[in-house]
Amino acid sequence: MERNVCLIAGGMSQWGVREASQRDLFQEAAKACFEDNPAVRPTDVDGLIVASAFTERCSFQTHLAPLVAEQLGIRPRSVCARVELLCASGSSALIMAYGLIKSGAADVVMVAGGEKLYMPQRWEVFYSELGTADREWDGAQGLGLPPPIFAMVAKQHMKLYGTTEEQMALVAVKNRRNGVNNPRGQFRQPIDLETALNARPIVSPLKLYDCCPVTDGAAAVILACEEKARDLTDRPLVYVRGTGQATLHNMSANQPNWTTWEALRIAAQMAYKRAGVKPADIDVAQTHDCFTISEIIEYEDLGFCEKGEGGWFVQEGKSDFGGQVAVNTDGGLLSCGHPFGGTGLRQAIEIMKQLQGRAARQVEGARFGLTHNLSGPAAAHTVIIYGRDKS
Amino acid sequence: MTALPILEGRYAASMDFYPQQSKEFTRIWPFYEHLKQGRFTTTRCRACGRRSFPPRAICSNCYSEDMEWVDLPTRGKVLVLTEEVQGVPLGFEAPLIHALVDLQGEMTMFVRLVNCQPGEVREGDEVRLVVFPIPEVPQETRSGVIKQERVYYAFEPVR
Ligand SMILES: [Zn+2]
Repeated sequence: MERNVCLIAGGMSQWGVREASQRDLFQEAAKACFEDNPAVRPTDVDGLIVASAFTERCSFQTHLAPLVAEQLGIRPRSVCARVELLCASGSSALIMAYGLIKSGAADVVMVAGGEKLYMPQRWEVFYSELGTADREWDGAQGLGLPPPIFAMVAKQHMKLYGTTEEQMALVAVKNRRNGVNNPRGQFRQPIDLETALNARPIVSPLKLYDCCPVTDGAAAVILACEEKARDLTDRPLVYVRGTGQATLHNMSANQPNWTTWEALRIAAQMAYKRAGVKPADIDVAQTHDCFTISEIIEYEDLGFCEKGEGGWFVQEGKSDFGGQVAVNTDGGLLSCGHPFGGTGLRQAIEIMKQLQGRAARQVEGARFGLTHNLSGPAAAHTVIIYGRDKS
Repeated sequence: MTALPILEGRYAASMDFYPQQSKEFTRIWPFYEHLKQGRFTTTRCRACGRRSFPPRAICSNCYSEDMEWVDLPTRGKVLVLTEEVQGVPLGFEAPLIHALVDLQGEMTMFVRLVNCQPGEVREGDEVRLVVFPIPEVPQETRSGVIKQERVYYAFEPVR
């Protein structure tokens, strides 16, 4: 028998350049998560899934989930494992926890994700990123760091649809403005359009504020079956309504089109279908704004607007508070930063708070929320839809 | 490697971003042998006809292992290009010029452009394959240490 699954707690460490180790960050995130819902004790948690991509490379540590379980005083008896899908590790782990609870294989699962990326030598993290593309073929061409890939995507989107550098900059301005309200994010200073447009170039046409930063940090959430959730929280229940995940074309030579993310369309359609909702029903969304152009393409491929109209969608304020769908209300990757395994969980926490009516800046009356997380050269996409009501 | 004096200058594979190319370490080693002759090749499955890139030892369409080597174009046209000026990975120099190149309609791939200055190459320009040596590496095999001579490829403008 399939069960309903609810999100009942969530918390993050401070994100940014941290004087802390990977294990410190996981402990901080879990502490914040249990503080978010003091009714849940570590002993209530029967499963733990840990999401981290660069743990071997930057912390020289594998077999991470048992280590984190011990650090957190959790005694897993349904599941204890690590999930790695680079930038989408957190949301992928959440989908797995959801499936286990839905099926009855687990009751209360913590999903904890994060990264320690600042190394004694800064080049180490950039060097390691060469392994995030197909290393033998794209990595050895110097591809692997995301900026050149998304710069090329931006250039093609500009060429095909007339998207402008100003429209991209407006994504950064909006998300920086939203990030002001998030005390755990890496950046809390707003920027204006002129600052964004005049920032130093990184990879043309992407400038400094078009790119998310390198970030240390972790986040943790707790999922429970509906029965346990009713015991463990008095807040409004937030249901996972539907999930979708699709992967296509990891190698650049096999990618037919860089400006339409087919895997995102597939994942989104699956999630909408399972959740029983349409794009127009979504009140609030956290999407993977690793670069400003990413958020523009995501409006399109998530069905918030037509193909090619993403630049206008932000320019007309449709992705802002009071618009069609408020996107990246907690500041997104552009403000909060992006410790790979933590991002999908940071997104889940913000949606949970929005649907419970307790977000730092609230979308009034939000009933449906969506998260989107991508990884690699836009090759893998994860979409999760949450609702205030069970399906 | 001050942290590991015990290495005494020995090769550490985890710090090498080029693939191992010898027949002791990869089943698609002929790709690199062809590259040394200036040929850009890949595999085509004799059982189902599917051509793949990168080359494979086993067809991803029908799982046959009956593969043949076929030549790819060594000239192409730049569709889009960009210059990376910040955060270039170790082993590369800024600006690192990336191009999305159309190989005569057969394939579109991300490649590195070399032997040119920033701003010199434009969209629509013709580029060609260029093969260059990369540091050889010693590898410990069951029959002793072998020296692996290696090459890799990028593209350069046709002038
Ligand atoms: Zn075949």
